Amino acid sequence: MNVEINGPQVLGYLFGNPNLPITETMRNAWIVMVFILFLCIFLTRRMEKIPKGKQAFAEKAVIMIDNLVDSTMGPGCRAFSPYIATLLMSSLFGSLATLFWMRPVTADLNTTLGWALITFFLITFNKIKYGGLGGYLKGFLEPVFVMAPLNVLSEVATPVSMSFRHFGNMAGGLVISTLMMGALEVLSNAVLGFLPVPLLQIGIPGVLSLYFDCFTACMQAFIFSMLTMAYVGDARSSG
Amino acid sequence: MPDVFQSFVYINWWNILVTMCNTLITFAIIKKFLFKPVRKMLAAREEEVQAMYGNAEKAQTEAEQMRSEYTERLAKAKEEAAEIVGSATRRATVRSEEILKESSQQAAAMMKKAESTIEQERKKAMNELKDEVASLSVMIASKVVERDIKDADHERFIEEFIDKVG
Repeated sequence: MNVEINGPQVLGYLFGNPNLPITETMRNAWIVMVFILFLCIFLTRRMEKIPKGKQAFAEKAVIMIDNLVDSTMGPGCRAFSPYIATLLMSSLFGSLATLFWMRPVTADLNTTLGWALITFFLITFNKIKYGGLGGYLKGFLEPVFVMAPLNVLSEVATPVSMSFRHFGNMAGGLVISTLMMGALEVLSNAVLGFLPVPLLQIGIPGVLSLYFDCFTACMQAFIFSMLTMAYVGDARSSG
Repeated sequence: MPDVFQSFVYINWWNILVTMCNTLITFAIIKKFLFKPVRKMLAAREEEVQAMYGNAEKAQTEAEQMRSEYTERLAKAKEEAAEIVGSATRRATVRSEEILKESSQQAAAMMKKAESTIEQERKKAMNELKDEVASLSVMIASKVVERDIKDADHERFIEEFIDKVG
């Protein structure tokens, strides 16, 4: 039998231009965005002074993210809260999309790299804003000037490591799940070949999915947001 | 058209650009539809709580003020009552003294009157006694002397005698 593990499927081309493909990842990302939009509208609809049910949940979430931002980045950084919430929700729902027969949005390097580049931009912007351009450039010569290449490398490594960590975890889960499905089909045919369906494919992948999809999705969303907060907070206090 | 796939690990600036745009749009959505209303609600609630605390504080100070006012008034009322009682007592004392004095005066007057009446009675009785004694003496004397003496002369003599004796 053949097990194929592909990148995201190309669904079409924008303006028929082969350089502008519309991929499965993009479509799933848009679905996730629409889901987030409806979730936000649903959670904050008909708000009352005395919160209950969904409103209490929304308030709890906002307060939690605010507290997280406060404790990681220091006070006065609440403007970053929506961005952190964006990362958390996009990453979490983008990864959990796999539970709804969609290719996870985060199992595409371009997605995680895009986020990491935004974070990288925020880091650099805040370093220059709070330390000045001179301070930023001088930071590469610390502690001695011969370290400059290494400092540049570590600066560049930040978005690379962040994006590859997230992508690797999700893609790894995808690969393992696919391999598992193939292996179970083979095993099922060998052991229970008389049955019309590969019986062993039922249930067992679900257990693995608990770790590779659910747990990893939550973990990576949290790690990515925490790293963003830590790096940007560090950049703000570097001046 | 056969299914076309991108490579599993693949960097394409177009894809990254789309991701960034998606992220920015999601950021706008979350900011506008989640954070803005929730923060507004939290702020409104905080404001309300602040207002409630302010009102409570105001009410408390008012109550405190009223309490001190009432305490003051109560003390004043007690003082007044004490004054009233005191003045009443004083007045009663004065009045009772007056009454006592009056009654003692009355008693004294009555005593005097009684004494004068007694004196009069005594005098009257004395006079009667004198008369009686005189007439008796005349009778006894006339019996003794057996002489026809004019009653009138004798009576005069005896009266003179009694007057001299006392």
